[in-house]
Amino acid sequence: MGKFTKGQIEYFLLKLHSLTGLVPIGAFLILHLSLNALRTVGVLPYQLSIDALNNLPFLIWIEVSVIYIPLLFHSIMGFYVFTIAKSNVFKYSYPRNWMYTLQRVTGGVVFVFLVYHVGTTVAPKLWFGHHLFDAAPFLIDVMNDTFTTWTGRTIYLIGILSATFHFANGLWGFCISWGIVIGPQAQRNAGYAFMLFGLVLSVMGIATVVEFSLHPVSVQPTFGGTS
Amino acid sequence: MMEALIQLKIKRQDSPDSKPYWEEFTLEHKPSANIISCLQDVARNPVNRSNQTVPPVVWESNCLEEVCGSCTMVINGRVRQACTALVDQLQQPIVLEPMSKFPLIRDLQVDRSRMFENLKKVQAWIHIDGTHEIGVGPTIPEKQRDKSYVLSECMTCGCCLEACPQFTLTNNFMGAATFSQVRLFNMHPTGAMEKEERLEAVMGEGGIAHCGNAQVCVEVCPKNIPLTESIAEIGRQTFLQLLKNLFLK
Repeated sequence: MGKFTKGQIEYFLLKLHSLTGLVPIGAFLILHLSLNALRTVGVLPYQLSIDALNNLPFLIWIEVSVIYIPLLFHSIMGFYVFTIAKSNVFKYSYPRNWMYTLQRVTGGVVFVFLVYHVGTTVAPKLWFGHHLFDAAPFLIDVMNDTFTTWTGRTIYLIGILSATFHFANGLWGFCISWGIVIGPQAQRNAGYAFMLFGLVLSVMGIATVVEFSLHPVSVQPTFGGTS
Repeated sequence: MMEALIQLKIKRQDSPDSKPYWEEFTLEHKPSANIISCLQDVARNPVNRSNQTVPPVVWESNCLEEVCGSCTMVINGRVRQACTALVDQLQQPIVLEPMSKFPLIRDLQVDRSRMFENLKKVQAWIHIDGTHEIGVGPTIPEKQRDKSYVLSECMTCGCCLEACPQFTLTNNFMGAATFSQVRLFNMHPTGAMEKEERLEAVMGEGGIAHCGNAQVCVEVCPKNIPLTESIAEIGRQTFLQLLKNLFLK
């Protein structure tokens, strides 16, 4: 393929920014929210799901390559995209222009939220060493503590809703940018479909927060489930 | 609901580097007046509201029937053509500003050459016979002609770019008008001969990947061109071109 021009590299990076939002980040968000929603079914299924994930082979490599690197890349590109444009939503207040602006705002909110979220959940695990303690009792206690206060609940609700909006609206944009959905009617229909999709994800997230807030349950390490 | 007088508030600037300032004019109301006729009245008698004689306001216009795009300016906060902005339909005082996304020349006159440079980059034309005849073009089906016609109405006025949050004075984004022209010439059977060159051009600096789908372009387009459809269509064509570049070349 030879040498690339600056413009071609820019195009490629922007496309990659768009793609990483869908896979792996968006796919992970679906997985994350639906597995967490197991908490509403009962604390045992939830604990077992945490065990299953934390006992995956080569976990740290999966985390780094499927979550951290794509997420960091998506964030850096996101800030770049944010800085070269200038929202004019107060001058031209059309619904789609609001969504465009919200997409950028929620991107920033999710970034800040994730620094907090990863800092309080995953960072201690990395700090103490993965094999030194059981993930499930530790993580469930962190969440129980967080959801005793309205501050914690609010932070998580804002974080979850920003993420689901950013993902659902991002999917809509993805369909247009990659030419999957073309005509104005099709674009409108896709908009409704993704709004519904985002709503479902939001409900799963909110239900989990509610369940943790109403019924905090501490758990013991799962014996025999880890071998 | 005729008002006896017309109040104009114009954002003026004497040269590209000087500071902008506001100046107000009061004009006599004339039936069916539009912004161009008001500016002509100002030019005829350039006396502002403080009764000072000032240099007449500079603006551009040409066709006076909304097909050339040269009188595009921001009227009461919305970008549109001055020739079709009827005074009786506007709230007073009527606020006139130059477009903010193009280099300013003077008063309401801006330099729109960036748009024309972009049209050159994407070869927004159809090659005709060169040193040898390339023959008669194929017949275009009526349905396709109908679609092309709407796209061909683009007058490179700049409304879509002025209203686009992605398009700024300092970046190099091409914008909706350019992408729509790529679509127009790619769908023409003879124009399709340069399809790849056009797609490569919008897959470069300031190209299609920068579109953020704010979709204000289509809201402000005076010609009702389906710009967002064009953007999605070029999104598809460039994606297929990317696959071709990656796996077939």
